[in-house]
Amino acid sequence: MSSPQKRKRAKRESRLDRLLEMPREITSNEPKITVIGFGQMLIENYKAILEYQEFYIRISTHIGILNINGFSMNLKEMTTDDLLITGKIESIDFESITD
Amino acid sequence: MYFKILLNYILGYVQIEIEGYYIERFINFCHQQKIFLWNFKKKTEAAATFNVSIQDFRRIKPIAKKSRCKVKIGNKKGLPFLFYRYQKRKIFFLCLFLIMIAIFTLSHFIWNIEITGNETIDKAEIEKILQENNFKIGKSKIGLNTKEVINQIRLQRNDIAWVGIEIKGTNATVKIVEANLKPDIIQEDDYCNIVATKEGRITKISAGNGTPVVKEGEVITKGSILIGGWLEGKFTGTRYVHANGEVWAKVWYTATAQVPFKQLKKEQTGNVENKYSVKINNFQINFFKTLSKFQKYDTIETSKKLKLFSNLYLPIEITQKRNEEYTEIEVTYSKDEAKQMAIEEAKQKIEGQIKQKENILGEQIHEKQTEQYIEVEVIYEVLENIATKEKIVF
Repeated sequence: MSSPQKRKRAKRESRLDRLLEMPREITSNEPKITVIGFGQMLIENYKAILEYQEFYIRISTHIGILNINGFSMNLKEMTTDDLLITGKIESIDFESITD
Repeated sequence: MYFKILLNYILGYVQIEIEGYYIERFINFCHQQKIFLWNFKKKTEAAATFNVSIQDFRRIKPIAKKSRCKVKIGNKKGLPFLFYRYQKRKIFFLCLFLIMIAIFTLSHFIWNIEITGNETIDKAEIEKILQENNFKIGKSKIGLNTKEVINQIRLQRNDIAWVGIEIKGTNATVKIVEANLKPDIIQEDDYCNIVATKEGRITKISAGNGTPVVKEGEVITKGSILIGGWLEGKFTGTRYVHANGEVWAKVWYTATAQVPFKQLKKEQTGNVENKYSVKINNFQINFFKTLSKFQKYDTIETSKKLKLFSNLYLPIEITQKRNEEYTEIEVTYSKDEAKQMAIEEAKQKIEGQIKQKENILGEQIHEKQTEQYIEVEVIYEVLENIATKEKIVF
């Protein structure tokens, strides 16, 4: 697990990007989480999947870890940036990394 | 994202079952190598299924080895596998190809000609002109010069005001606008006589201009001069004028009708047989014996052209032949009945010719009887204006 990506620290938003009103999920590598209803969840800018069970998914991002509890959850689509989860989502909680 | 899945369907993808205790590691390796996975489902604690495209499948094997997972191929889906399955059916594809070529080539011909807009001109006449100009069913659309055909039609017929040929699919519509021929108009300053259009006995003659030639009560023939287009003066001599005036005359219309006492009357039995045949261009295939099982029958033929879409006519015609059986019954009429029928028949014949029915003055009926039939002659006496102008030709 010695990928260069993991070593990289969270990218900060620059002043120019804020001036140009660039979307933050593009300029920084903070995750963007979109939840549609209780059954679909899209996570952009994720780093890796730490654990995957039907009832529990643990995803690491650049600013912390995301825990998802639910039932019969599938990883519907997995690309390099996006992760789409479908299934019954019960709760989401975050574990942020503090320097 | 759905675009990516659709693209993978075209390029082909496989459903994979994976077994192992380090599935998360496997996912993360795939993530690092930018392999697109979808429909990832966990089946049991140590088994999962997912979809991956064919190209990425080769890269999955080393990853599986690394993460100590067993890979099993499930369903193969997508177009490449579909084609592979049909590879042995060469004739099927050959026929499909041939059908496509056939439809493509056949759609370059005209298979139906419709003629619209004609009221008095017979369709057959126009079809004849079209055929003479090489515009017929089965002609290729390529290199067809409709303008020339239109010009030819307009040259040959002066009772057609406008012709348009519209080709839609395999259907050609010939639209015609008929010209109403104008009668020869005699100019006001031309010299003319007034002549009779019909023969009859003159009852009233009133000349507006010109010299009356005939007198009241005179019987005249068709075409004879009634009012001469000239004036005679003592000093001026003969002077030609534009004659006008009205000439009323009693005109006779006659019609005869024969009605035999014994007649054969058709009566339909209700027995009907339908026969079908297929006509491909000019080649007919019958699906029946040409002889009918009935002795006496009427035949009604209806044919229908096949078309693919609203305008793509095929050169195939289905013809239905309907034979309706009838029997003949001999009916004997009495003298009065036969006479009445004959009179009605004759009257009908006359009434088509008379324009002004209110001017009918009287009618006469003559009858002649033989053993077989009765003959009736009906004469109508009608008051009519028989004057018409005719140009004086010197």
